[in-house]
Amino acid sequence: MKSARVLSLKSKLREFWSVYKRDKAAVVGLAIFLIILAVAVFADYIAPYNPYQRVGLPYQRPSWKHLLGTNDIGQDIFSEVIYGTRASLFIGFLAAISGTVLGTLVGLFAGYYGGKIDEILMRITDIWLSIPTLLFSVFLVAVIIRTGGIPMFYSVILAIALTSWPPVARLVRSATLSIKERPYIESAVALGSSATRIMFRHIIPNVAPIILVEVVVRTAMAMLTEASLSFLGLGDPTIKSWGTVLHFAMIKNALILGLWWWFLPPGIMIAVTVMSVMMIGRGLEIYFNPRLRKY
Amino acid sequence: MKAFLVRRAFSSVITFIAIITIVFLLARMTGDPLAELENDPRISPATIAAIRASFGLDKPLYHQYLSYLLNLFKGDFGYSFHYKEPVMSVIIQKLPYTLALLIPSITLSNYLAYLVGIEIGWRRGSKLDSVFMSISMFIRSTPYFWLAIVFLYVFSVVLGVTPLFGAVTPGKRFEWSLDWLVDYLWHYILPFTVLTLRGFLAELIYVRNVTVDVLAEDFVVTAVAKGLPDKYVKRRYVARNAMLPIVTVLGMRYAFIIDGAILTETVFSYPGTGRLVYEAIFNRDFWLLQGAVVIIAASVIIVNFIIDVLYSYLDPRVRYR
Repeated sequence: MKSARVLSLKSKLREFWSVYKRDKAAVVGLAIFLIILAVAVFADYIAPYNPYQRVGLPYQRPSWKHLLGTNDIGQDIFSEVIYGTRASLFIGFLAAISGTVLGTLVGLFAGYYGGKIDEILMRITDIWLSIPTLLFSVFLVAVIIRTGGIPMFYSVILAIALTSWPPVARLVRSATLSIKERPYIESAVALGSSATRIMFRHIIPNVAPIILVEVVVRTAMAMLTEASLSFLGLGDPTIKSWGTVLHFAMIKNALILGLWWWFLPPGIMIAVTVMSVMMIGRGLEIYFNPRLRKY
Repeated sequence: MKAFLVRRAFSSVITFIAIITIVFLLARMTGDPLAELENDPRISPATIAAIRASFGLDKPLYHQYLSYLLNLFKGDFGYSFHYKEPVMSVIIQKLPYTLALLIPSITLSNYLAYLVGIEIGWRRGSKLDSVFMSISMFIRSTPYFWLAIVFLYVFSVVLGVTPLFGAVTPGKRFEWSLDWLVDYLWHYILPFTVLTLRGFLAELIYVRNVTVDVLAEDFVVTAVAKGLPDKYVKRRYVARNAMLPIVTVLGMRYAFIIDGAILTETVFSYPGTGRLVYEAIFNRDFWLLQGAVVIIAASVIIVNFIIDVLYSYLDPRVRYR
């Protein structure tokens, strides 16, 4: 029994790959992303220095000793960028997961229960969507910091999660609406399954593909928002993400001094990472939605 | 039409009240609004108590909420402790710079995205299409502010053809003269170019995809089969039907002006509302930030209302929903 399941998972993966690999951009995106993921995981071995320690004179130009020079307090910028991979990926992924879970719950309840509950939840969703996202997240981070109690690192994640759920809620709601009309849900109701069981055992597995694509796309978006918030100085200054590196480059006048090795590499890393994640998202979307396939 | 307008206006007011309630509750979560003053040794406890009473902070929460609502409708959006001025007047001073920068830029980039998007959607699968798609994908992946940094570096630092910061040369007084205008435009050109280019390239993919969807419709196939000239099909059949979703999405960009402004104005040190938000963070001027959120939310709701009314002209069906 167990081996049969394993086999079916294997053949499923094979089937997935045979479709996925046809989209060249998605394959390239996956390859780039795996490299970046490896950089994040093995940052300790790749980075020549500890980015949190002063390892040389400040404001040095790139050299063999410091590939991208040093910053205003003598930290190695190359090591900062390598370690930044870890923070940026982690924050982006965690924020995306939280936002998607929140949106999924709202959409699921609205779609399943319908009526007044649906109306109220969707009304809240619409109101949430009408506030400019970046401004709202800036405000939320400010609120969370002022309230205190939550480490600054998590306040950015929380703010992104709280501003990114509405589109997910809408998607999941419309999927739930169509799934709940299917005959097997009716049988489950007739068998006396509880609403919770129906929602989490019968509906969620069927919206899983949508949720998976959303998590991937949201990760790309969350990484951009994190970069913006950190750039504005709302990130945790003790944790080096690409956004925080750019923030310090900006306030320490790297631009006017022409220190391109300080502000170009983090931005390039953000762009390449976000693009690779978006390409993977596109590939998954094509896999799950056969109508998008080109034969 | 009148019923539609009334219904739409009513829901706008509800949305606004909901937003200010959320903002009020969030702001109250942060604790004592006078915390900044209490840490200031120059202000005596008696003065703080007097301020507390004058703002009604000694009253119960529902009382504070109601007077907050009342004050908002009277146009009182709170007080900035950093600028020592009402929030409204601080924002009013900065607003013209933001609007003069963002509205022309969004309009031009929307127009370009519309023109080029329909063209490359029409030629889907061509070399031109894939080149534009790749550029668009890349631009969407770059952070807003980083693109601005790169442009500022290339044009102002390396080439030195544009100024480094500001909306006018420091010390220049605001006067309607040719001299002032030239100086203003010289500072204007770079942020304007960055915003327009990014907006155009980022929205391009959307217009293109909508166009491709419309091209798959039966009436387009019929029109081509009938032997209508390409130009006619493109303009009368494809562009017309792609228009509705495009207006919705591109129109929303006017409502979300502030998001682009915060980052661009911060990089270019442009004295608009976006930069103001950044400075409010920097100076820990929470009450300015809160007032700004409310004022901007109000303007977003007004823009949304206008888009919906315009939309109901383009697609009369929505009036009867």
